[in-house]
Amino acid sequence: MPPSPDLDLIRGTLDLLILKTLSWGPMHGLAVLRWVEQVTGQRLQITEGALYPALHRMEQKGWLEAEWSYTDRNREAKFYKLTAAGRKQLATELSKWSRYTEAVNLVITAQGVR
Amino acid sequence: MTPRERGQPRLFRLPVSRRRLRTDIDRELRFHIEGRIEELVAAGRLRADAEREVFERFGDLLTVRDECEEIDAMTHRRREFNEWRSALARDVRHALRGLIQRPGFSAVVITTLALGIGATTAIYTLLDAIVLRPLPYPNADRLVFIEHPVPGVETYTRWRMSVAGYFFFRKNSQALSNIAAYTRSEATLVSADGAERTRAAVVSDNFLGVMGIRPMLGRDFTAADTRPNASPVVMLGYDYWRQRFDADPRIVGKSINLGSTSHQVIGITPAGLHLPDYQVQVWRALELDPDAPAVNSHYLDAVARLAPGVTVAAAQAEAARLTSRLPEVFPGAYSKSFMSDSRFGVLVSPLRDIVIGGMSRTLWILLGAVSLVLLIACANVANLFLVRAESRRREIAIRSALGADRGHLAGHYLTESALLSLIGGALGVLLAYAAVRFLLVLNPPSVPRLAELSLGWRPVAVALAISLGTGVVLGLLPLTRLALGRGHIATLREGGRGQTASRGQRSARAALIVAQTALAVILLAAAGLMLRSFQRLRSVHPGLDASGLLTFEVALPWTRYGNRGGGPEGYLAAFRYYRELTSRLAAIPGVTAVSMTRSLPIKDGDMCALVFVETRGHGQTAPCLGVVIAAPGYFETMGIPVRGRTPTWADMEERTGGVVVSKAFADDMWPGEDALGKRLRPNGFAEPWYHVVGVTGDVLSHGLDQPPSKVVYYPLVPIAGAPLWSPPTRATIALRTRLDNPLALAPTARQVVTALDREVPVANVQTMETVVATSTARTTLAMFLLGIAGGMALILSAVGIYGVISYTVNQRRAEIGVRMALGAQARQVGRMVIGQSLRVAAAGIAIGLVGAVATTRVMQSLLFGVTPTDPVTLAGVTFVLVVIGVLASYAPARRATTVDPVEVLRRE
Repeated sequence: MPPSPDLDLIRGTLDLLILKTLSWGPMHGLAVLRWVEQVTGQRLQITEGALYPALHRMEQKGWLEAEWSYTDRNREAKFYKLTAAGRKQLATELSKWSRYTEAVNLVITAQGVR
Repeated sequence: MTPRERGQPRLFRLPVSRRRLRTDIDRELRFHIEGRIEELVAAGRLRADAEREVFERFGDLLTVRDECEEIDAMTHRRREFNEWRSALARDVRHALRGLIQRPGFSAVVITTLALGIGATTAIYTLLDAIVLRPLPYPNADRLVFIEHPVPGVETYTRWRMSVAGYFFFRKNSQALSNIAAYTRSEATLVSADGAERTRAAVVSDNFLGVMGIRPMLGRDFTAADTRPNASPVVMLGYDYWRQRFDADPRIVGKSINLGSTSHQVIGITPAGLHLPDYQVQVWRALELDPDAPAVNSHYLDAVARLAPGVTVAAAQAEAARLTSRLPEVFPGAYSKSFMSDSRFGVLVSPLRDIVIGGMSRTLWILLGAVSLVLLIACANVANLFLVRAESRRREIAIRSALGADRGHLAGHYLTESALLSLIGGALGVLLAYAAVRFLLVLNPPSVPRLAELSLGWRPVAVALAISLGTGVVLGLLPLTRLALGRGHIATLREGGRGQTASRGQRSARAALIVAQTALAVILLAAAGLMLRSFQRLRSVHPGLDASGLLTFEVALPWTRYGNRGGGPEGYLAAFRYYRELTSRLAAIPGVTAVSMTRSLPIKDGDMCALVFVETRGHGQTAPCLGVVIAAPGYFETMGIPVRGRTPTWADMEERTGGVVVSKAFADDMWPGEDALGKRLRPNGFAEPWYHVVGVTGDVLSHGLDQPPSKVVYYPLVPIAGAPLWSPPTRATIALRTRLDNPLALAPTARQVVTALDREVPVANVQTMETVVATSTARTTLAMFLLGIAGGMALILSAVGIYGVISYTVNQRRAEIGVRMALGAQARQVGRMVIGQSLRVAAAGIAIGLVGAVATTRVMQSLLFGVTPTDPVTLAGVTFVLVVIGVLASYAPARRATTVDPVEVLRRE
């Protein structure tokens, strides 16, 4: 299957990462960042300049819901939580991503047929 | 904050300002940065190093903040809009449920408003289309019409332009960029299908240019086309071209037979181009010879375009200067004595005023009338809402006690009333549309520009604005209770039992009824005055017997009948035609008399021509008086009494010079003398003379509301040396019949005409009674519409009075019960209720009569034979409203007398 043109790698990946991370439970922005860094062993770094606008935009789209709450150390922070629409979006993004990687894999592992 | 399920919308949300959005973002970002720094410090870094590293990694903090803020602001706006929308939807749902729960109330309110708004919109549509919209020409507000008032000879008509005057103005005027001349005419199109009358415009070469229009196909007229003996050319009107020539563009360049002469089609005019208020089918070139000697004959309509920046007043001043130079330029045609005796002047007026004429005033008066109806309707609905508000006191009290804020309540009631009035408004627009369609079907001849009529956006916008405004005002009525707000607790404590209306509420309702009655009096007075005028007008005897008369027009081909070349021969062709035609028509069974005239009374009026009377001597100015050319048998056919005798066919053929004059003419020329045998002439003081052989009764040729015409009835063939007018190729034939419906003769008459000459078309077949009715059409229309408005006012007022009295009786049940327990008789109670109604009505009538006397003065020009303060009308109106006051309170009074004191007292 040919890759759809709407597969904007950076943005698409970022949204996917955030959605997937939040699927484990409500988190604040910093926690999202730390989670991604830990899981990937620092190989994947998200910049704050991209993260926060993305979070706010996803809140606008209704995928996330934000609420002020307290951290374990009793500090006030803005927690983001996945909504039903967000869950659905995560499924879509996941399937898109796997189709994309499959397609890319097919190309780069293909044998010459000359 | 209430706990809520996931996915359920928030019910309450604290208002969020833009500032608050920014603070939240700052807090969020500060938390992030501090968390990062602590992380690094915990890992053993110096705090200063940690800070630097974190800020470096973060990048441009301000940009991120702004970006987030923008996103949040948008999120916020969307959320607010959604909440507003769902609140509105909820209010509308509630309101609809409320309206359906009270079908009676809703139906009355909607119907009342629909009637009021419908009537107003209908009249405003007419006003908009006829008066307010510009004429259908580019920059139509720059077009003016030029005519000559001649108060010295004619009081009620103005002269048009002469050929010499036209060229003089066209050459010398600076204020007018261009002047075109035209006349309305008719032409006969002869084809294989037979002869057909068409409406023709005969125009100067620059007419289209002055109007700002170009031919759609082919070419425009040129100066060469208007020269005498130019080869005949014609342009076809768009609609006629489509309907008669199947929109075939190849017709341009071909020839068609118009009036038995071959005309070359040179072009097609674009759709929508017509003469002012005259739907044109074919356009012909006007024969204009700039070198012809000046003649004092005024038959050209002149329309001009003002030069850029010139006002109508400036053009008028220049035209007056030019007119005063006429005697020195054309001394033969415009002598100094003619100018001073006739008081020959000039009048430049906007073309629109000429087209609309008196209709503008009629429509404004009607708009005033229907606005009053709308006011009465609103007063009624306001009353209903007041009563409703009273019964809602408890509801409002409970809602307020439960914490509903004023804004919320206002929204609730506004939605309800806005919904009602918008439904009413929508129905009203539909009503107006139907009314306008109906008017188009009636096609009253007194209304100009009907062909252009359509329901425009402006009336719809006005109707919408009226309904919304009404809705807002009515919706706020219940809230006046809230604003006055004397203790919801007190209301609740009453337990909704003692629901007596407050004094303020009662007097507000009484004031509304008084106002309503006063408005109804004004409207009824206006309607009554129109009715009286109409009666007076219809009882006027026109001077002829209109019943049992069929009339139709014929047009003879000019080439065969219109030749006035030397001697009587030119006239004899037409003479013989009419003699043959009338004798053949007279042979139709059921026909008792037939004749012909060039100008039918009431419809055509009569042309004016100078009259020289032998006994008045040489020096006196000849007045311009009515000229009718009629065939023998005319007076007998029309039912006009004659003293003396009338010329016969033989007299006319032998040119014995006998004429008949009207009584008004005779009384004016020879007061106290016998007119028979007196001598007169139409052209100059010389031999030979016509002599009077008969005097006829007076005929109101110019309409029933005009004084009788002074007329000379000339024979078909003039005597030698006096042929001032061309042979009557266009004429009206009149048939008197014993049949109940004269129109039944029409097909036979048409066959007879066609059999005699197949190039002669028959047009405008109608009975004389229709002609008379048409002449009073404007009065009839105004009476009809004002009558509808008055009737609506009456019904609405009756409903209003009934509603209030009925409500009061219900409120006063306890009091009435006590009275009856104390020995009051049923009759006394009934009288008390009716008396209350009459007091309110009397106050309304008194104010209304003053208002009527003050306002009906504007109707003066519409009235005939009555003064605006006609006592009979005012007394009649008073009587009608008193009767209404009694009738409207009769049922409530009956109900009051049936109050059972025991039951009432027990309930208390």
